[in-house]
Amino acid sequence: MTSAVKLSDVSSCFQGVVPSLIATVDGRGVPNITYVSQVYYLDERHVALSCQFFNKTRRNLDENPRACVEMLDPLTLQAYRIRLKFLRSENQGPLFDTMSARIEAIASATGMKGIFRLIAADVFEVQSLERVEGFLVSGRPEIASEAPSLAGHRSEVRGLQWVSERINRARDLERLLRASLGAREEYFTFRHTSVLLYDEPCGKLVTLASRGYGESGIGAEVRLGEGVIGTAARDRQVLRFSSLDADLAYGRAIRREAASDKKCQDIPLPGLVDARSALAIPLTVGDRLVGVLSAEDRDPMRFGEWHEAYLQIIGNQIALGIDRMTTEMDAETSPPRPSSGVRGEGEGVRVEGRGKKTRTLTYYKKDEAIFVDGEYLIRNIPARILWKLLQESQRTGRTEFTNREVRLDESLGLPPVKDNFESRLILLRHRLQEKCPDVQIVSTGRGRFALQTGATIEMIER
Amino acid sequence: MDDRLAKCVEPGVSVIVGSVDAAGNPSCCRAVGLKTDDDLATVTVFLPVATSADTIANIAATERLAIVTTHPISHCATQLKGMVQRTRPARDDEEPFIVGHFAGFGGVLNTIGYPLRVTRSVTHWPAFALEMRVDEIYEQSPGPKAGTRLR
Repeated sequence: MTSAVKLSDVSSCFQGVVPSLIATVDGRGVPNITYVSQVYYLDERHVALSCQFFNKTRRNLDENPRACVEMLDPLTLQAYRIRLKFLRSENQGPLFDTMSARIEAIASATGMKGIFRLIAADVFEVQSLERVEGFLVSGRPEIASEAPSLAGHRSEVRGLQWVSERINRARDLERLLRASLGAREEYFTFRHTSVLLYDEPCGKLVTLASRGYGESGIGAEVRLGEGVIGTAARDRQVLRFSSLDADLAYGRAIRREAASDKKCQDIPLPGLVDARSALAIPLTVGDRLVGVLSAEDRDPMRFGEWHEAYLQIIGNQIALGIDRMTTEMDAETSPPRPSSGVRGEGEGVRVEGRGKKTRTLTYYKKDEAIFVDGEYLIRNIPARILWKLLQESQRTGRTEFTNREVRLDESLGLPPVKDNFESRLILLRHRLQEKCPDVQIVSTGRGRFALQTGATIEMIER
Repeated sequence: MDDRLAKCVEPGVSVIVGSVDAAGNPSCCRAVGLKTDDDLATVTVFLPVATSADTIANIAATERLAIVTTHPISHCATQLKGMVQRTRPARDDEEPFIVGHFAGFGGVLNTIGYPLRVTRSVTHWPAFALEMRVDEIYEQSPGPKAGTRLR
């Protein structure tokens, strides 16, 4: 039994993690079946297959253009069947170049360069797509003792499976981001990495997690098109640089020094001043930008073609994980209710905390930025969220909040969908830990958190 | 049966099948076992009932079937083509063979990083048994010999 779905609903099948099947028929009506390493999504009505070895399949398509492909979702293992009609072969152009680069990267990493190569990109029209019902045993048990490990022989599949497991297991966005960095360090021994998520309304990427840098750099922003990370994001292209020259490293050092000025609101982007190689991988779901994975190293030849191709697959899995988390968050939200209207003038008010210390938080309305004891803390929507929480706490004495009530407060100016609330809360939590540990946002359960103050907070609004 | 041909029914291989309907539309399906008792003059391939409706309908119409067996590590692959002589539900006494075949396949996948629960989660029973007369056998392993007729 089968049921119909949309091609874009099964995007994880297009990562090439599990080989797909393709059945064709020759002019005499004799069927042929073989594997194809990857199906490429072109749009809702078209896919492409890489023509490498399968000559019989290719000859059959010239005699009978119909084909049937079965794909597996690498995370859920669900099978899908696509009925296709062969349209044309492309042996040059952007599609061919994209598919060819990917295959050559894998070929060079496996010693098959020149042998394992793309002959043509075969383009097909999708006539139907069906989910194969009953493919999986219902209610299959999870077997904890079989959790993947990196012990023993390290194959590509083991690495992918290991990373996928961690992404799937993450219960919230923060754990997912941490897991993605941890996996890169443990599997690839990448020591200097960060994850930036795309804040679409602001048109910027915001650093939400980093590893291997002295300062976390959480909250550091990059505009689309700016530097290696911003360019990778804007063009939705993996960028890999080896042997970065001294001038570039010097320029980065100057920029970092400037950004570390206490009066400056820019949080320095986490980075090595003496990095000699860099890799930036855009995280996308379809054409939609979710963020960027970044890695640096002092070794000028640290990142190879192999890393580029392989991390792109892992990046797709991380992007899907992030998207899943944010979609789940959206689904939790009920229709909007009227604004609580708690935002107002709060000049000189105080939130009494448990400690004897006093911290002064100043909210600059024009810049939408909060400074703590004269030092920059945070700005934009996370600043509005913190100010709202402090005001509410000061006004009513409340310290417990739900994500939902804050998200529905129209005064915060969150977008109605894909509001990245979770990522903004992560950013706020980390900035408070680094710059004002006397104010903490502590998770108290799924979709709930508490505002904890260990000092008396003096609030000034200007 | 020579050593090369014996590889296509050795433990741990994956088995997939292709079929065609009367209008020339192909279909594919993952199988859960393959055996021969007469050196590949005939084979019996097992397909899960839950996922093989298209294939069974195609066989009723055209009887034509293509089977590929592949070893996941060596990539040694063989294509068998022929006509299905009989389609029947797999017998209870054939279930241990299917379970054993699947366990072998899962064991091989496990050595390259797929945990056993991957294969355990795929439906394998109840199954149809398709008894096929083998007319042609082809080399399907990647490389310059792909497509060479073996028998």
